[in-house]
Amino acid sequence: MSRSYDRALTVFSPDGHLFQVEYANEAVRRGTCAVGLRGKDVVVLGVEKKSVLQLQDPRTVRKVVMLDDHICLAFAGLTADGRVLIDKARMECQSHRLTVEDPVTVEYITRHIAGIQQRYTQSGGVRPFGIATLIVGFDPHDTRPRLYMTEPSGIYSAWKANAIGRSSKTVREFLEKNHKDDLSRDETIKLTIKSLLEVVQTGAKNIEISVMESYGKVTALDLSQIEAIVQEIEREKEAEAERKRSRLAATAAGQAAMSSRAGDAGQPSGQQ
Amino acid sequence: MECSFALTGKDYVIVAADTTAARSIVKMKGDEDKIKTLGPHLLMAYSGEPGDTVQFAEYVERNIRLYQIRNLYPLRPASAASWIRRSLADSLRSRSPYSVNLLLGGYDTAAQTPSLYWIDYLGTIATVPFACHGYGSYFALSLLDRYHNPEGSLEEGLETLKRCIDEVAKRLVVSPGKYKVKVVDKDGIREIEL
Amino acid sequence: MNTFVNQFSTSSALSVIRKAQALVDDDEEFSDAAWGSEAGFGNLAKGVPSFSVPAVHDPTAFLRLHTDDHADPNCRIKIQHGTTTLAFRFQGGVIVAVDSRATAGSYIASGTVKKVIEINPYLLGTMAGGAADCQYWETYLGIQCRLHELRNRERISVAAASKYLSNLVYSYKGMGLSMGTMICGWDKTGPAVFYVDSDGTRLKGDLFSVGSGSTFAYGVLDQGYRWDLTDEEAQELGRRSIYAAGHRDAFSGNTCNLYHVKEDGWRFLGNYDITKMHYEGPGDVPGSAKTGYGYDVRVEGRVSSAAPAVAS
Repeated sequence: MSRSYDRALTVFSPDGHLFQVEYANEAVRRGTCAVGLRGKDVVVLGVEKKSVLQLQDPRTVRKVVMLDDHICLAFAGLTADGRVLIDKARMECQSHRLTVEDPVTVEYITRHIAGIQQRYTQSGGVRPFGIATLIVGFDPHDTRPRLYMTEPSGIYSAWKANAIGRSSKTVREFLEKNHKDDLSRDETIKLTIKSLLEVVQTGAKNIEISVMESYGKVTALDLSQIEAIVQEIEREKEAEAERKRSRLAATAAGQAAMSSRAGDAGQPSGQQ
Repeated sequence: MECSFALTGKDYVIVAADTTAARSIVKMKGDEDKIKTLGPHLLMAYSGEPGDTVQFAEYVERNIRLYQIRNLYPLRPASAASWIRRSLADSLRSRSPYSVNLLLGGYDTAAQTPSLYWIDYLGTIATVPFACHGYGSYFALSLLDRYHNPEGSLEEGLETLKRCIDEVAKRLVVSPGKYKVKVVDKDGIREIEL
Repeated sequence: MNTFVNQFSTSSALSVIRKAQALVDDDEEFSDAAWGSEAGFGNLAKGVPSFSVPAVHDPTAFLRLHTDDHADPNCRIKIQHGTTTLAFRFQGGVIVAVDSRATAGSYIASGTVKKVIEINPYLLGTMAGGAADCQYWETYLGIQCRLHELRNRERISVAAASKYLSNLVYSYKGMGLSMGTMICGWDKTGPAVFYVDSDGTRLKGDLFSVGSGSTFAYGVLDQGYRWDLTDEEAQELGRRSIYAAGHRDAFSGNTCNLYHVKEDGWRFLGNYDITKMHYEGPGDVPGSAKTGYGYDVRVEGRVSSAAPAVAS
């Protein structure tokens, strides 16, 4: 009677793990990286774009999507799963407006998405969504930017800055080191790109940035704008490296001088 | 008594609806907007059974918005009209039909044509150069047959609309006082004070 | 044969797949049902709650047969109809004033009815039409508002609360509900008043009056209303308007209950006897002229006749 058990895909392992959920997390870790960053009155989403094939139309690949006028979402993991989840979320956004007139709050839609993800870990015959999401936006009648993350298990949490997907740990550590409260718009964008450059080697052409400045005001940066910022960052890095090198050289020279002076001192001072 | 008018002209559609919300003999509200903006180039004036009107209009509004968010571009007026008519026709054959009459004015940015659709609660649709709903139509239709100019400028269109409103004000026993007037053209939607 | 069995078994693998299918399909279908948003109103219920209707063949016809229709005033169940309620928004918040008479046909069933329903410390609902309908559904609305608060960690907006009620009564349209209510409160957007009735109409506005005496109330209210009324003036206007309706409308009267909603919630200001207001005024309260509202009291000693008094 093989069908008397294992009806559900997500069952506990003896030590309390849900393997399917953990595999889903693995799928997320293999997805392209996405970064979310909250500034003083702006919130930025940055994603790593996979290089499109030569004959592919790049417009059909989207990783940052609008859920409603005031909410954006980026995801990492299985793109096809993402599409399904996003459609459910968009539907809920309109549905919410229809039933209570007010638009959804960022937390509400996050909770809704996380709720769907959770349902797919506890029902028979379904598998979890292989995606993690970053949800950003502004609440109606409010000026504070919001950033949330959801995971395949159905966990959701609020953040100042976070990353999901490939090498997200590296990026998160980078953000932990460099994030400051009350960043301005430009600083926030720059830090987002900087953190993405930690894992995106190919530079500007593989980065996509969306900026939300206030309720319902979203802009996607052009390639040229991103390139300019990337160049600026590179110049700074270069300058930093230069400074480091010269400092190193200086110390090296200093040390050399010291040792040579020490050497001098050892010599009899014959001629004067 | 609810009245709504709409007419097309050279590259625009004007949609006008009265602004009263009445219950028996009492006017509960004098500035109710009965023209929904369904998209960047789509307007819908609604009238009919209280309750049904707003419920149906919001249902349409949210579905059309959902379409735009899903597909990144809005539904074209002809398709929207078709979908709305179908929704009404389906509802007519359900347990609780919506009794709503509509005027749908839109500007098709791809074909660069303004279009106007007259839709009633039975799911009838007609593409027309001008249209009315309510008691106002008994006066305005003949007037529009006589004065409407499909190539008229916006000023001329508004002039014709004013004729309709004045005629209804003059002859209809309980005529609505104020109207909301909206125009849709290639630049989008704007409201006009008469 | 097999398919039939499968359809009703709950343990077969097929039924599991069906359940999973139902879960996946849950909000994917583009049907009407999909349009009930949870909107913070529950995890399982789809937007509008279900409510069992009487176990008779045709509840609507049953209700029409046994309640006091205009056609037949002698039937068994009398539904309270006559009322005057009003609410208006002004610079200092929202004033809600109602009368307290309950009539069933030509009989005054009660003179001490509470027609303002305290939904929560920030929301008030008024009662006109079927008393039971209003009381039941507005209390129900209170439960939902509290749940919204617990789920979303913020108070429900007046717009959302009124919309919820409006969707609810709309789903019972044509089944005999009779309500005309104003949902009043204060939220992030400031003071707000919404008119909701059992047709499914929902209007946002500054000033509404509902009930058989509403026309009389409007007469006084519209003339005295300004946005920049002071608190005292507004309270007095509310009282006076209810008095006017209580005086002129046979189905309204007895006393007037007055509420004021401000940023920190509503406050009950008092209960005023309409007969007493006619002769003596509302008593020593802020804003009162301390004289009777009645026409005879107001114009005492004044005459229209220009003829000199006849010497006796």
